[in-house]
Amino acid sequence: MTKHHKMAFLSLLVTFAIALHIIENMLPVLLPVPGAKLGLANIISLLAISLFGLKEGMIINVLRCIMGALLSGSMSSLIYSLFGAVTSTLVMSFFYKYYKGTFSLVGISIIGGISHNLAQITIASLILSTYSLYLYLPFLMVIGLLTGLLTGFTALYARNNIMRIRFKTDD
Amino acid sequence: MLFTLGFFTLVLIGIKCYTMLKFVLTEVVIMTRGDKILIVFVLIVSILVYICFGAYGLYKDKTYVVIEVDGEIYEKISLGQNGPKIKIDVPVISGKNVIEVDRYRVRMVHADCPDNDCVRQGWISCPGQIIVCLPNRVVIKIIASKNLPDEPDAVSF
Repeated sequence: MTKHHKMAFLSLLVTFAIALHIIENMLPVLLPVPGAKLGLANIISLLAISLFGLKEGMIINVLRCIMGALLSGSMSSLIYSLFGAVTSTLVMSFFYKYYKGTFSLVGISIIGGISHNLAQITIASLILSTYSLYLYLPFLMVIGLLTGLLTGFTALYARNNIMRIRFKTDD
Repeated sequence: MLFTLGFFTLVLIGIKCYTMLKFVLTEVVIMTRGDKILIVFVLIVSILVYICFGAYGLYKDKTYVVIEVDGEIYEKISLGQNGPKIKIDVPVISGKNVIEVDRYRVRMVHADCPDNDCVRQGWISCPGQIIVCLPNRVVIKIIASKNLPDEPDAVSF
């Protein structure tokens, strides 16, 4: 894969992540727990981490958060999503690098979902200065587990198909 | 005839569903041993955290009784298993009303009004219930305040 292929591929991934972020904002909230959401954009960050690495995953996530906040018009939620995304990317890339044999992409996605929820609770209770938000922690952990399973399987099959792409290198 | 046909259709659908489920569980859901251990670990930790928070009574509702006279709050008492066991005299236009609080429930014992509808209502204990003495303008209502914070609707995650 040449430099230009990589650049085009990364920008495609950013586009997919922004689209998923906006689609997720359109979905109705089913559970009365703040912070409970599907985390569809996590699929793309998992793909980026497993195909490229920490740096590219971080670039994609930060760009996705900023663009998603600008496009969906909720700048006040930018700091929550940015903090959660950065933390989950760091944790997921750490586990992908050192515990690749122990956990498949599904396990790494679960870890990422739970760390995302934890980071969001922490930053929200710092900003709102109430620690009662931690009462939602057990519910958010179970929700993070379920959505992590979903996004993990999606990312697993997407990666297995993307790995088959052969980029032309005879230019 | 129709019954046997329906029965066989159901059996066929059941076999199809079973084979599909088996295919999904063996071919599609591929997880390593670490993943399964992680899932069980997360479930156990979340249940433990829930039990710990519940042991400190953080998820319990608190109920209050609010007595209003003429639209203004006369008294607010918290109810529960450790609640007070008192009788309250409330001065009103035509004399007095007597309200009895018994740990978790409230009633009107006596009212200086001609019809005494409020006395006949008996005990109330659930949030949302209300006793009104219309001639004397006395309202007794039970409200709940949850320990869990309300939806932080100003902030979207």
